[in-house]
Amino acid sequence: MEEFHNGSEVSPDTNSPFSPVTCIENVVGGGDYSQSQVNKWTANIVERCLTQLVKQGKPYKYIVTCAVMQKTGAGLHTANSCYWDTAMDGSCTVRWENRTMYCVVSVFAVATA
Amino acid sequence: MEESDTYHIRPNHQQKFRPAVVKECIREIVRERLSGVQYNPEEVPELTRSLADSVKDKVKNSGFDKYKLVVQVVIGEQRGQGVKMSSRCFWDADTDSYAEDVFMNDSLFCVVAVFGSYYY
Repeated sequence: MEEFHNGSEVSPDTNSPFSPVTCIENVVGGGDYSQSQVNKWTANIVERCLTQLVKQGKPYKYIVTCAVMQKTGAGLHTANSCYWDTAMDGSCTVRWENRTMYCVVSVFAVATA
Repeated sequence: MEESDTYHIRPNHQQKFRPAVVKECIREIVRERLSGVQYNPEEVPELTRSLADSVKDKVKNSGFDKYKLVVQVVIGEQRGQGVKMSSRCFWDADTDSYAEDVFMNDSLFCVVAVFGSYYY
């Protein structure tokens, strides 16, 4: 029932068109890290991901998180621990970067039926 | 998870996910484990994982039996960089909720988010 997820795919879905990388690239594009824009970016990324997921019409509740960090040579670590039904629920974490920033998007899907 | 015989579709007041209680759980564990700790790239991955596990166990034992939990821990080095974290959830707003806490010292910052989703 309990396990650590390290980038494993969401449970029942195999050929979904859901692509976090596309969402990130559409929002951030070729831009550089900007303190004034970053609020808007993170909000847009999570909203787009969530909309795409919901469109698939599956009986799941979704939690999407996004962290954007400026590249300064500092280290960043993330870990997830989940208490759920390992047969039905799952998560997916995607890392993306460009010249000036890192972006980590995590999606958790929890079954309702 | 075991199936309940009574099929409650709404948690009663005692069982409801209370963000304030969970936030306090997070705060205690994080302050205890991270006070005075310096960022060390070899130890931090293990520390992040074990922190996630500890927070999950503590919240589970706080009486939210009917809830599925997702705990996310982010630890980063403090070097004056900018960081922003956001989340959005698609769930049942009557029953589900989340709690989060941020801890900072001179050499690292730590964000812990706990999401609780009711299991009908």
